[in-house]
Amino acid sequence: MARIGAATETVGTRDALARARLRASLVPDLLVEARRVVNTVISGWHGRRRRGIGENFWQFRPYVEGEAVSRIDWRRSARDDNQTYIRDREWEAAHTVWLWADPSPSMLYKSVGASVSKESRALVLVLALAELLSRGGERIAWPGLTDPFGARNGAERLSSHLAHATALPERPDLRAVRRFSDVVIASDFLDPPEETMAWLDVLARHGARAHLIEVADPAEETFPYSGRTEFRDPETGERLTAGRAETVAEDYRSLYLARRAELQAWCRRLGWSYTVNHTDRLASEALVRVHLSMGEPSLIGMHA
Amino acid sequence: MSWLPLSFGVPAVLWGLLALPVIWWLLRLTPPRPQMELFPPLRILQRVLKKEETPYQSPWWLTLLRLLMAALIVLALAEPIFNPRDRVASGDGAMAIVIDNGWASAPDWELRVATAERLIEDAAATGSPVVLAMTADLPNADIGPFDADTAHDRLAAAEPHPVSVDRPAIFARVAAAIEPLPNPAVAVLSDGLEAEGDAAAFQRLLAPASSLVWIAPDDLPILGTVSVENRPDEFAVTAVRAADPMPRQANIVALDEQGRGIAETVLSFGPGETRASAAMAVPFELRNDFSAIIIDGEEQAAAVRVLDENSRRRRIGLISQAEADQAQPLLSPLYYIRNALSPFADLVETQSADLARAVPQILQQKPAMIVMADVGTLPDEAHQALVDWVEGGGTLVRFAGSRLAAAEHDEDLLPVRLRTGERSLGGTLSWTEPQPIVGFPDTGPFSGLPAPSEVTVTRQVLAEPSSDIVERTWASLADGTPLVTGDRRGEGTLALFHVTPEATWSNLPISGTFVEMLRRIVQLSRNQGAIAASGGENGQPLPPYRMISADGGLVPPTPEARPLDFSAGEPSVTIENPPGLYGGEEGVVAHNLLPRDATFNPIARPQTPLPITEASYAADEQVDLKGPLVTAALILLALDTLAVFWMGGLFSRRAAMRPRAASTAAAGAIAAMALSILMLSPGPALAQDQDAPPPATQQQEVSDAEAIDAISRTRLAYVVTGNSSVDSVSRSGLAGLTRFLTSKTALEPAEPAGVDIETDELSFYPLIYWPVDAGAPMPSDAAIARVDAYMQAGGTVLFDTRDQYSTSLDAGSSPANRRLRDILDDLNVPPLEPVPEDHVLTKAFFILNEFPGRYAGSPLWVEASLNAESRQDRPVRVGDGVTPIMITGNDFAGAWATDSDGAPLFPTVPSDPLQRTYAFRAGVNIMMYMLTGNYKSDQVHVPVLLERLGQ
Repeated sequence: MARIGAATETVGTRDALARARLRASLVPDLLVEARRVVNTVISGWHGRRRRGIGENFWQFRPYVEGEAVSRIDWRRSARDDNQTYIRDREWEAAHTVWLWADPSPSMLYKSVGASVSKESRALVLVLALAELLSRGGERIAWPGLTDPFGARNGAERLSSHLAHATALPERPDLRAVRRFSDVVIASDFLDPPEETMAWLDVLARHGARAHLIEVADPAEETFPYSGRTEFRDPETGERLTAGRAETVAEDYRSLYLARRAELQAWCRRLGWSYTVNHTDRLASEALVRVHLSMGEPSLIGMHA
Repeated sequence: MSWLPLSFGVPAVLWGLLALPVIWWLLRLTPPRPQMELFPPLRILQRVLKKEETPYQSPWWLTLLRLLMAALIVLALAEPIFNPRDRVASGDGAMAIVIDNGWASAPDWELRVATAERLIEDAAATGSPVVLAMTADLPNADIGPFDADTAHDRLAAAEPHPVSVDRPAIFARVAAAIEPLPNPAVAVLSDGLEAEGDAAAFQRLLAPASSLVWIAPDDLPILGTVSVENRPDEFAVTAVRAADPMPRQANIVALDEQGRGIAETVLSFGPGETRASAAMAVPFELRNDFSAIIIDGEEQAAAVRVLDENSRRRRIGLISQAEADQAQPLLSPLYYIRNALSPFADLVETQSADLARAVPQILQQKPAMIVMADVGTLPDEAHQALVDWVEGGGTLVRFAGSRLAAAEHDEDLLPVRLRTGERSLGGTLSWTEPQPIVGFPDTGPFSGLPAPSEVTVTRQVLAEPSSDIVERTWASLADGTPLVTGDRRGEGTLALFHVTPEATWSNLPISGTFVEMLRRIVQLSRNQGAIAASGGENGQPLPPYRMISADGGLVPPTPEARPLDFSAGEPSVTIENPPGLYGGEEGVVAHNLLPRDATFNPIARPQTPLPITEASYAADEQVDLKGPLVTAALILLALDTLAVFWMGGLFSRRAAMRPRAASTAAAGAIAAMALSILMLSPGPALAQDQDAPPPATQQQEVSDAEAIDAISRTRLAYVVTGNSSVDSVSRSGLAGLTRFLTSKTALEPAEPAGVDIETDELSFYPLIYWPVDAGAPMPSDAAIARVDAYMQAGGTVLFDTRDQYSTSLDAGSSPANRRLRDILDDLNVPPLEPVPEDHVLTKAFFILNEFPGRYAGSPLWVEASLNAESRQDRPVRVGDGVTPIMITGNDFAGAWATDSDGAPLFPTVPSDPLQRTYAFRAGVNIMMYMLTGNYKSDQVHVPVLLERLGQ
């Protein structure tokens, strides 16, 4: 029987530089793919729906003593004999979105049923979001790699940072994330949910809103193994032999789904979003959902 | 296989044992190399998968177990038969086989036949003639010599008879038969019971014999009933057995006419006892229903004892001389006696008042007891007959009266000498008081009866005082004079009541004590001989009625049974007069096997100088070893399964693992069952495929189940177009609307259903959402017709072209729109109009002015309500019916579609949360309109109605 899953990584050195180089060679392709995905999504990014500093007209309102005279809209005021009006603009404060994709070796996994590896999918999603957000004028950042920056070509800049990074930590340092920021984390979340919650808890404490994207390989979810099988963990190298793998499939699936359900419930409780993207499905599905959940927060509780 | 008493039905299968080394090699083989797999979620897998390494080699004992199992299966398939047979008789001369087939052989007759078979086979091996004789057969039965085949046939036809063996006669015939034969061997298959004349019979038999094969049973477990006795207060059964140091118990059951057990008791033999009695203390009414007494579990004739009238109700003859006046029955001397005795006795009366004729008539019935009420002097002939009868065991009860008081003394028929005349107590001319009874002496038959306080005696006859008057007194009055006296005469009993049998001399006859006293006396009595149903007096034989079979059952008469002839005294039990009931419907006589004094003595081996071979009864035990071998293999299989479970650490798993273990165990059990079926079936087992019932039935059942499922809860339905993306959007859209409905309204629909308009039943659903997809194949005419029928029957189809966005400039030219036109061409579409402002749809639940979906702007087309009146004072136009069709281009499903968390799947265009809310509200309104119709337009009349009611 052909093997079901394999790591996309070439066997050989585990040198950090080689991996970075590999990743760097991967990034331009992913950037193109991310652009293509982004183009399929209609940008529904809107202003803050409050008056404030921005470019678009929001409302006229009567001038109140003490306000800057320069803000008076004289054209509108001329039509009224009694009042002087001020033109308010919609507040379009740039928003900071932290993006992070899991670089751990387990993300390199790709099964025969999947079209891309999990890391590839995670990077595509994150870069696509970077492209989308920087087009919308948001400030994006990669924890541990860049500070928040706003640029039209945010995705390119992020990818060049990624390409030149030598060693990426297993877990990002999220303490720099401030309140009202959005955090997008693409990972496979295969650790026990308690551990995941523990290292993401700092976000909840800082008041940031996180969008977790679980990139899942179909083989991990359906467990299509049978017969005598030896499983190897790509991260720890630990081995486990199952005499008849099909006998544990049912239990494994329920545990796997229970982990996901637990994370989902936790996210819902915190007002976060949790999106599952299988690598045999389209990246745009997850992109639309994440984008929706970033854009229309009020809708989440509406129909549930 | 001469060294083992084993033979194989299919020896070729034994070559399968050669496979054992191969199996051994396979079992010793290492387990297969595991498939190497990379698996990131290993930590999750770790929680379900214990370290489950199959060891490099199975342990030696497990290999041995499996090899043993394989060997057992191979051996079982070879159908081994264990046959411990050995040759009994040596010698090559003629063989005479004498079998006891009396009643004692019946329980293990098969064993005797099997033993005889072996002897015949031995004889057949040497080709010598066989003399086959049965000791309980007809004396003229053919005994041979036969060849082996004929002997086999005759042996197969032989059966035990419920009679005792007759050894002398048969042995003599056998001896005569073997005398001319050379070198004859005699085999005696005895039943183990000694019989009369054994010694002489054996001497005669063995005279011409050259050798003796002696076969006797090792023990004699048989029981026989020798007597039954209907005692005053119980029914006693006596049984015998052969000498045995062990105690034994047996169940005695009494059967009624229909063979039902109506009473039971336990009979216990003490250690070493050969005779035991048991009593059934049951009411006499029940006892009279007994027709047979059997020993439970004994399947032979001696354990059954049939009962006839003699052991049941007594016949009692009544004789009176003052029976003439029938007009005053209470004054009749026999009236109270008759009433007292009739429940438990048969009364025999005579019509003749002439004692010379009446007494012989009564005696002819052989009564147990004769009651004579105030009979004074008997004619000489009758007197002598009565005396003889009493001497022979009869019980004569006499009552006093004026006639007796005046009669001469009758030494033979009165227990005491009487004074002539009677004594009067308590009369008007007497000082004395009427005397009560003071009690019953313990020696008499009335012992234990309570003394009746209400009974007084005013007149009586008096006994002459004598030295033995006290012994003869059964009851006495307060002044010491006897009231009832009794004495024995020969075998019989005489009793005299010193008062009259009617209530003139005392009130004893109308008291309950009188009945009890008579019953005691009746129970003393015994029937004097069997009454011949068809006149036993002239010795006419009685035909057989019900026979006791050899195995202890009651059967119709066999052809050999001859009528029972009493002319030559008590007939004996013979093959021609087997035990049982003789007679007919109107009366039977029991003819029982064992006499009262029968004993079971084990037969002794005859003393003879001949060579004796002793053997025991044993069948050719052709033990089929296939079953035990398969059982052993199955047990090993179970052990193997348990061992595998144990090695797999299954028993130390958590409880959560149970289902899997159970399923594994179940699979193992099924495999074992399959194996056992394979093994035990004689031929190739054709497993019937019961999992596949006829397809038509299944189809029908499934569709019924689906129908029940579909109509038990309201569901939204969508048309499956075949385009998976459209269908999944429809499904999640309707699911989203379902959730919205559940949370906002009282309607709680079930999961939405996808319908295939070509095949599925549509009428289950109030509304069918049909996303028109130009890419999907055009529905067939039949499907369109079904949709048409659905719409005509009251259903509504919501067509959604989902093209508002693309056709805003050029309406009506999008592919979906053209497809919709194609579809509608074949439907009976009513005139349409966009939803007017005052349509019920706008007010069915929410108040809506527009019906947006994912897109906004396309109107919702409904059936035009042309004749509906629109009045200014009404907020809603009045009209009946629900529109059968709705058409929109707004892509409702896209707006309603949410994932399981309730988060929307598609952004609205333009992206406006409020538009999504309106889309959901539009869906609610449509659904409410579907389910409630124009109810809302009626509801608006409520204020007017309330006003009219004066509220």
